[in-house]
Amino acid sequence: MKKCTIVFLAAAIAAVLLSGCKKSAPKPGSISGYDDGEQYLSIWVHSIENTEEGWCYREAADSFNEAYNGQYFADIEFIPRNDSGGGYSDKINASVMSGNLPDVLTVDGPNIAAYAENEIIGPLAELSEDERKIYLDSIIEQGTYDNKLYALGAMESSVGLYYNKDILDEAGIEVPDADHPWTQTEFLGVLEKLKPIMDEKNGYALDMTFPVGEATIYYYAPFFWSNGGDFADESGLQIDGVFNSEQNAETVAYFNTLLGSGYMSEVPIEHLFESGRAAFKFDGAWEVNTIYTSYPDINLGVAPYVVGDNWSGERYTPTGSWAFAASAKTDNIEGATELVKWMSGVESGKRMWEQAKLFPSTYEAYESIDVFTTDENYKALYYQLSTYGHPRTKTPAYPQVSTSFQQVLENCVLSGAKPQAQLDKSVERINAKLKRYTLEK
Amino acid sequence: MKKKTESILGMAFFGPALVLLTLFLFVPMVLTLIFSFTDFFALNPGLTHFVGLDNYFQVFKDEDFRQAFGNTVKFVLIIVPLQGLGALGLALLINRVTRCKTYFKVAFFIPVVMSLAVVSTLWVQIYSPEGILNSLLAGLGIDAKPFIHSSAQALPSIAIMSAWQGVGYQMIIFLGGLQAINPALYEAAEMDHASGWQKFRDITLPELKPLCVFVFITITIGAFRMLVQPMVMTGGGPSHSTYTMVYDIYETGTVNWEIGLASTMAIVFAFFVMILTVIQTILTRDKEGKKHVYKKAKKN
Repeated sequence: MKKCTIVFLAAAIAAVLLSGCKKSAPKPGSISGYDDGEQYLSIWVHSIENTEEGWCYREAADSFNEAYNGQYFADIEFIPRNDSGGGYSDKINASVMSGNLPDVLTVDGPNIAAYAENEIIGPLAELSEDERKIYLDSIIEQGTYDNKLYALGAMESSVGLYYNKDILDEAGIEVPDADHPWTQTEFLGVLEKLKPIMDEKNGYALDMTFPVGEATIYYYAPFFWSNGGDFADESGLQIDGVFNSEQNAETVAYFNTLLGSGYMSEVPIEHLFESGRAAFKFDGAWEVNTIYTSYPDINLGVAPYVVGDNWSGERYTPTGSWAFAASAKTDNIEGATELVKWMSGVESGKRMWEQAKLFPSTYEAYESIDVFTTDENYKALYYQLSTYGHPRTKTPAYPQVSTSFQQVLENCVLSGAKPQAQLDKSVERINAKLKRYTLEK
Repeated sequence: MKKKTESILGMAFFGPALVLLTLFLFVPMVLTLIFSFTDFFALNPGLTHFVGLDNYFQVFKDEDFRQAFGNTVKFVLIIVPLQGLGALGLALLINRVTRCKTYFKVAFFIPVVMSLAVVSTLWVQIYSPEGILNSLLAGLGIDAKPFIHSSAQALPSIAIMSAWQGVGYQMIIFLGGLQAINPALYEAAEMDHASGWQKFRDITLPELKPLCVFVFITITIGAFRMLVQPMVMTGGGPSHSTYTMVYDIYETGTVNWEIGLASTMAIVFAFFVMILTVIQTILTRDKEGKKHVYKKAKKN
């Protein structure tokens, strides 16, 4: 018995010793390129190296080390991330516990608020006005929390209302210009006109689904924003009366109409738009490249995103993607800020576009890339992004807001639940998560 | 002296496993139990408080968890008979086949060795509105079914797919059991002019009984742990109809960062599975005992 106890104790001690291994900062010379006199900066990115996106980060880090030779050395580490967001974020969570966070890390746009509120990332060192204004407004907006700048986007994205030019021509429908989008009511009229044509093609006027995950709120939040709704108040801590507002219930009901009138399919049909059996589709900016390279037969157009009936020109279209931020634990905020600026800067953005067809985050990058001035679809998306881009709702309970949004749409539109009741129920659920922040204040 | 060397040798073999088990199994288990009484938040471990049984009350009040619990039980109720009886049926059939036996064995076993994520992705295509299954149904004049896109059909659809994926494993176990039955028993039965059904009921089933217990318990525990299929195929939807307990634990802990609450869910989950397994064992053992008594009485 005694022997048994000793064996178990020994095992436990060995286990604790193993788990207690903490990575310490490497010494100059131990990594190629890291020389004496240079300040060491560790950086984590949410991608594997062997992808277009990964190569961009590698090249950006290498060029940083060249430009700041003798001053800083950035040591980049690639951490894979799966579709549901695990992997990379698990590593962050574990490192928060063990205190092993790097100097600079990537953060997904909607997580910036939660990371800032919980002091995982810290405010960047002061940026000059000239440094700030190279970035799209949406990038600065996304990175700002509590009036402090925490993160700078490595890339931007948006959601377009894509249309099949041939089908719209057949129906004799004219697409409005970028500053006068169809209102939600007008859009119903357009869909009604298209319905008989699409029925004939064994398709639908609209290729629309409510996928589980972040996509649903990212795609369809503009319907709510442009209709006078939102998902949290400015502080990000109050959602009652905002998430479950009358306007939001009304907008959910609008989606009911889309399905009820037969403008969209109840079950997701793959490649509906891409196979020419849908007139419209909401999708990320990457769709243009997909259509150009994989479905060249589709005559693609980008229409301005639909607005609420009483919209008067406010920002309302989706924005945001992964961003670079400095960890709150870094003891070299100046160096970390330099690295963040470099990784999200003009050259990085251009590389992102060239290699991975991801939208850059700076004005200069857009101006220097041909397609954003010559290709009408890319031009339209850039105009929408720079003129009407709206940041995602900033609240530390964002994961819950995003999940609830998807559930409300799914439950109301596909299963016929009552919008107001569903929204109220969501508020209860999100409030339970917000309690942690509101009680501490 | 020899004994001592043996003991040292034994420790040398056992030691590394013990250290790893302690590190990756026992320590996390104890930590989970401790965390379940706290409000541990992954993004801010510094603010952790002891909250007593609060999490436990919250878990039982939580509508999502209750629904996930219901879904999991429903899934178990569908898959256990389906997979268990399916495996038995297949084993009986293959046992009778005289040609291409290996082919059938391999064919039914292949899905088991395939990654569940891969199998799930394949079945998303099979179940898709314009996929192969609906095309087949259309050929038979049956309307297209939404399968995983409808809250009524999603869970049974996933259960059928999971049974298909896992059935080969239990089939092999049953096949081994069938081959171990003494042929003399069947010969004796034939002399008494027993019918096929009688032979199955009075020889095959009783002989397979210990295996049945093992097979049903492993299917049950495996089914309770269902996560990959809904994660890949439906994301827990539509309308949370395929949201399982393990999925809820995962979401709560990693997506919403509530490690404390997720730990409580994990404890409740483990406790539940444990109770169920004990019940299952007791039920089956009891019957065995009774039968023994019955046989004895008959002898007398």
